[in-house]
Amino acid sequence: MSGDLLMQSLVSGLAIGCVYGLIGIGFCVIYNASGIVNFAQGAFVMLGGMLTHVGLKTWHLPYWAAALFAVVAVAVLGVVLERIVVRPLWRRKAPVFVMILATLAAQIVIERLTFLLVDDQPKTLPVFTDLPPLKLGAVALSYQTLWIVAGSLAIVAGLAVFFKSTLTGKAMRACAIDREAALLQAIPVSRMLALAFALSAALGAVAGILLTPTQYTAFNVGVPFAISGFIAAIIGGFGRPFGAFLGGLMLGVVQSVAILSLGSGLKSAAALSVLLVFLFFRPAGIFGVAK
Amino acid sequence: MTARLTVENATKRFGGLVAVDGVSFEVPTTGVTAVIGPNGAGKTTLFNLISGALEPTSGRVLFEGEDVTRLAPEKRAARGLVRTFQLVKLFADLTAVENVAVGAHLKSRGGLLAALLGTPATRAMERRVDEKARALLDRVGLGAVADRRADTLSYGRRRLLEVARALAAEPRLLLLDEPAAGLDAEESARLSSLIRAVAAEGTSVLLIEHDMQLVMNTADQVVVVDFGRKIAQGTPAEVKADPAVIAAYLG
Amino acid sequence: MTNSPDTISPEAIGKAFAPVPRGLGAILGFAPWLVVVALIGTALVVGGYISTVVAFALIYALFVSGLNVFMGLTAQVSFGHNAFAAIGGYTSAVLTTAYDWSPIAAMGAGLAGALALAAVIGWPTLRLKGHYLSMGTLAIGLITYEIAVQWTSVTQGYMGISGIPSLGIGRFEAVSDRQILVVLTLTAALGAWCVARIRRSRFGRALAAIAGSEEAARALGIDVASYKLASFLISAGYASIAGSLFVHVVGYVSPEVFGLHMVILAFTMLYVGGIGTVVGPLVGALLVSMLPETFRGFRDYQDLAYGAALIAILVYAPRGLAGLAELFRKDAP
Repeated sequence: MSGDLLMQSLVSGLAIGCVYGLIGIGFCVIYNASGIVNFAQGAFVMLGGMLTHVGLKTWHLPYWAAALFAVVAVAVLGVVLERIVVRPLWRRKAPVFVMILATLAAQIVIERLTFLLVDDQPKTLPVFTDLPPLKLGAVALSYQTLWIVAGSLAIVAGLAVFFKSTLTGKAMRACAIDREAALLQAIPVSRMLALAFALSAALGAVAGILLTPTQYTAFNVGVPFAISGFIAAIIGGFGRPFGAFLGGLMLGVVQSVAILSLGSGLKSAAALSVLLVFLFFRPAGIFGVAK
Repeated sequence: MTARLTVENATKRFGGLVAVDGVSFEVPTTGVTAVIGPNGAGKTTLFNLISGALEPTSGRVLFEGEDVTRLAPEKRAARGLVRTFQLVKLFADLTAVENVAVGAHLKSRGGLLAALLGTPATRAMERRVDEKARALLDRVGLGAVADRRADTLSYGRRRLLEVARALAAEPRLLLLDEPAAGLDAEESARLSSLIRAVAAEGTSVLLIEHDMQLVMNTADQVVVVDFGRKIAQGTPAEVKADPAVIAAYLG
Repeated sequence: MTNSPDTISPEAIGKAFAPVPRGLGAILGFAPWLVVVALIGTALVVGGYISTVVAFALIYALFVSGLNVFMGLTAQVSFGHNAFAAIGGYTSAVLTTAYDWSPIAAMGAGLAGALALAAVIGWPTLRLKGHYLSMGTLAIGLITYEIAVQWTSVTQGYMGISGIPSLGIGRFEAVSDRQILVVLTLTAALGAWCVARIRRSRFGRALAAIAGSEEAARALGIDVASYKLASFLISAGYASIAGSLFVHVVGYVSPEVFGLHMVILAFTMLYVGGIGTVVGPLVGALLVSMLPETFRGFRDYQDLAYGAALIAILVYAPRGLAGLAELFRKDAP
């Protein structure tokens, strides 16, 4: 395999890895606030692209307005999901897998509703900046790739500031460390849960909007994204948002190299094998201390 | 004969915290031994080192002269070292009598094939297990509620059920983790006489307890720990008079 | 992973149910069985389309009964049992079409393969807990699906394998709807009978102990890892046989048959019927299969309905239909 081809696939791996990372952060934000693994995370990604497309093509909104609408709508949906599905189970202290099952079912409901209300056709979005790709030697760097990387880094930086410096962010971190103690400190744990869902839904939507111009979105793309995001979170040591982002980058790179050497058919099998290797041998992730 | 249980220099560190610090003592083959100490003295950690829920950082645990320091809890149970839990851990979906029948796991036989075939031998064994379980429930005063689901019993009854379940394993050393917590005076008195009766039958008993009344009435030997160290050992009367113990409890 | 909320006094619950007469508990306990018998009976008498639906339901009932051993009796979780159904199904399909094996021999080979895989992956997987176990098993199911799609030289990929012979032992071959239905009813009944036997045995009590508290089970000398693996193998065996039956009854197999859809459908059936009960998987499989058929023509709404029903049951009736009856019977003094 030529070096240029390898470089090219590394670049695209890093770009998709950013997206996986954002989804992984979404998993961590909810997990930290509640101990819940939310499997509807993939639906947020799908809806981010899909609603932007609807705003753009059906309602003829400007691109930025369509994107903004999508992010806000998905965040609201996140809160709705939290209220009607997650909260009753959380109150009952339902087992983890019941929560996963319920959110997976929610994922399917959202998927099918999208299928019924929109259609089953793959849709794409225009690129943000319509210029020919930059050439670095033989490696082509599209502007959308730059948007993905820069947008993701900006979000990660924004989150860092949010968790470190704002009262709400600190409260969310406190919930992650010890929920009981947070309750005693009069931190409104239940509002934190709603906020966590809104935040991670919005993250998912942004990931979907950034990515869709380079690929496509359709009603059924959610589950693979959720799985990739989960793998990113596991690699990073579940519950560490920034670990999850790096985990996403790693997964993206491994996956594009796997596609290059094994063919695209085994793309998901490769990602899932990475997951199993981590679960079996390093469940605490790359940065965690193995027990 | 050697002691039933020997704890040698047991030490357990959690990061910088030393929860148990070089504790040594023996549980003789007969009678009731109690470990007491103020809250946070390291009693529960010590108990977990003995039951196998935790491994010590250093030191050894010997059961009937054999080193069991790194043995898994289920293997210790197979040797006759059976525990109860401070926060009762019953099998909520099973009835009281089924809970006790699980306790008889080690004392009965039969796997998947026996379950499916249901041979006369298997049925006879099931009958024996059931009779034994009901007899044990009668003994702890729960005969009337034998067929109730475990999670419908009152807290005090659940505690007694847990003791009956442990007895079904026919332990050689019975480990009781704060068995009187949450019991009223009457239940506590009944528990005390039950423990005495079990000990009289040749099972040695080690209990960790908060309730001084129960300890003074029940134990033959008392080990006092504070800040992870053993500070006294002796008969209840000796320990009660020990200045170090008085200081620990008052200070 | 049983939840006994400490906020409500369990004693109060016991008392609340105490006045319920024994008769009502018994009737409620029998009701799901009556539903099962009535539906199968109707299918046998009426035949035709409904018997196809019931046949499909009975195959799922077997699959869900096995899953129930692992999830209901042992309180573990698997999102990946479609993998074992796929191994059973594809082994049967390939051996009977390409190599002219008899259905029974092929089913046996599939079962052996499924058990071997379950033993190999069970060992590392069952040490996982909570969301790790959920995801690990999900990954196994998805990888198996990918393999079914990609390994075209054997599985023919998305095209699938058709022309699979119907069920037969020796010279007997179940060809008519009724014959197939009788074979499937007997198989599902045998499956349920085994679960009932397991449940009331020393083996089953050990599984229930693991479900209640692994720590307490170990303290009583139960080898938790071995029992979990045994439970996993049993459920994998059920899944494999269900997969084999499916391909023989339908005569065709493709990766979609054993996709994530199968897992969600099975979970819905398990929860509708009542997890941890013997009759639950049967009644759940039959009802869930019948419901969308009443709305035939609305195929697009099926998955939506499954998903919404699953959420509603998880949130509002976590013990399912059979669980309701069970509650009355066991708590009655």
